[in-house]
Order: sequence, then C-alpha cells, then structure tokens
Amino acid sequence: MNSKSKTRRLSLLTMLLAMSILLHMMEPSLPIPIPGVKLGLANILGLITFFMFSYKEMFNVNLMRVLIASLLRGIIFGTGFWLSLAGVLLSTLMVVVLRKTTRLSIIGLSVASATFHCLGQILVICFLNGTWLMVYWLPIMWLSAVPTGIITGTLAHQVLRRIMKGGYSV
Amino acid sequence: MNRSDKIFIGIVLIAALVLYGTMQWFVTSSTGADTVAVVSYRDKEVLRIDMSQNKNYTVQGTLGEVFIEVKDKAIRVEKETSPYHLCSIQGWVKYANVPIVCLPNHIVIIIENATEDPDGEDTQVK
Repeated sequence: MNSKSKTRRLSLLTMLLAMSILLHMMEPSLPIPIPGVKLGLANILGLITFFMFSYKEMFNVNLMRVLIASLLRGIIFGTGFWLSLAGVLLSTLMVVVLRKTTRLSIIGLSVASATFHCLGQILVICFLNGTWLMVYWLPIMWLSAVPTGIITGTLAHQVLRRIMKGGYSV
Repeated sequence: MNRSDKIFIGIVLIAALVLYGTMQWFVTSSTGADTVAVVSYRDKEVLRIDMSQNKNYTVQGTLGEVFIEVKDKAIRVEKETSPYHLCSIQGWVKYANVPIVCLPNHIVIIIENATEDPDGEDTQVK
C-alpha cells in the first residue's frame, strides 16, 4: 500500500467515524412514538465500514464511536456507556461471525446486529441490577429490532450501492 | 432481502414470541393472592408496600422524589424526574417479579408474594 492510498484510507475511515458519532449523538433527539426504541442509525456506518473495508475497521469505528460519543455526552463509564459498549461489542462480533458462516445479506446482518445489540444490553442490565428478570424486556426489544434492522440495513445497502463503483458483494 | 435473511428474521420473531410466552407464563403462575411490593434504592430496601391497600407513597431517588401509586393490587410510578420517564410510561404492574426500574433514579420496584416466606414453619408441632 503506497502512501497515497494509505492517506485515502485513513481519511475515509475518519469520515465514517465522524458520521457515525454524529448519528449516535443526534439519535436520542429523534421523536420515536414507542419509548425505549431507537432506530440504531449509527449502525449504518458500521455496516458500510464492514463492506468497504473489513471486520477490523468495523470494530475500530464502532468502538471509537461509543467511546468518543460517550465522552462528548459526558456519560463515559456511566450505566449508559456500559450498555452501549456491551451492545456494540456483541453485535459487531456476531455480524462478523454470521457473515463468515451464513449467507445473510446486509439487511439480515443489520437485523442480526440489532438483535444482538439488544441481547448484549439486556445481559449487562441483568448483571448491573443483579436480577435476570430484565430478560422480560428482551422479546419486546427483539420485535422492534426486526423493523429497525430492516430499515437501517436497507439504508446501508442503498448507500453502498451508490458509493462502491464496482458494486459490492451482498 | 434473500432467503436466509427471511429465515433469520423468522427465527428472531419466533424466539421473541416463545420468550414472551415463557416469561408471561412464569410471572402469572408465580403471583400469589397476597403480594407486597419491595422498593429498593441502590440495591437497599427502602420501602415495603402492602398491595391490598390503595395508597400513594413517595421515595427519594437520585434525581428527585419518586411518586408511587397502589390501586386495586396494581402498582405504578406516578411521577418522577428522569430524562425519558420510562418507568412512569411503563404503567401498572400487578404480577410478581416484573420489575419497574428507574435507572436514572436507581429505584427498583418489584412485587413479591407475601406468603413466600412462611414464619410458621419452625414452630410447627406434630
């Protein structure tokens, strides 16, 4: 890799990270009629990074996003931060595993990401509260993860279709 | 969306429904006739509420006072100070083991069976 493409790669990744931080920060202010449900818009950028680069870059972008966004919001090392971190770690890991082992397209991967994000969060809530009964929320979160996952997956697909000139393998 | 996507989505939906059914069955079958609600602040019990009396209670949370209402053997958080008001939106709860959690206030309300711990056992005479 020569220095020009290295710079190009670095700036692309930085821009993807910046956009994902922006979406992460502005997401709570979006009005969603159902309490506790969010679209997970920042995940679009994670998926785009995964398909443009590889799993390593997706891990970096997602982790840095949670760290920097929490730092900017002033909630770092608070409850919300650990929930985000657990969700993002588990979902990113499962996206990589499912991409390697199954033939899920970007939409399926997005739904999987949302599902495992919820699972990771619930596990941490159970651990923090010392009761496994918070699992009660999991079915509700999973039911909402399917439509939101499809929405973010479709958005990521549409973006990738336009920016990857030679097309990308779904 | 391809075939494996649809299969995966189906699995997630079925898993959600099965889990919901199991939890629902568990909470309804584990609720007795007489219940008490236990209110904890930072994992320490601060209030024990008799669920058979309609009454209002107030406990001190991290961000301010949390107003609790009991009516017809059901309990809810009526009013509290928090960013999203998730625990007051949750509404009435009447089954044991379904927690009302107000994370910003560090308040957890959980209904327990009043007859769960029978005192008479060690004084039983045959």
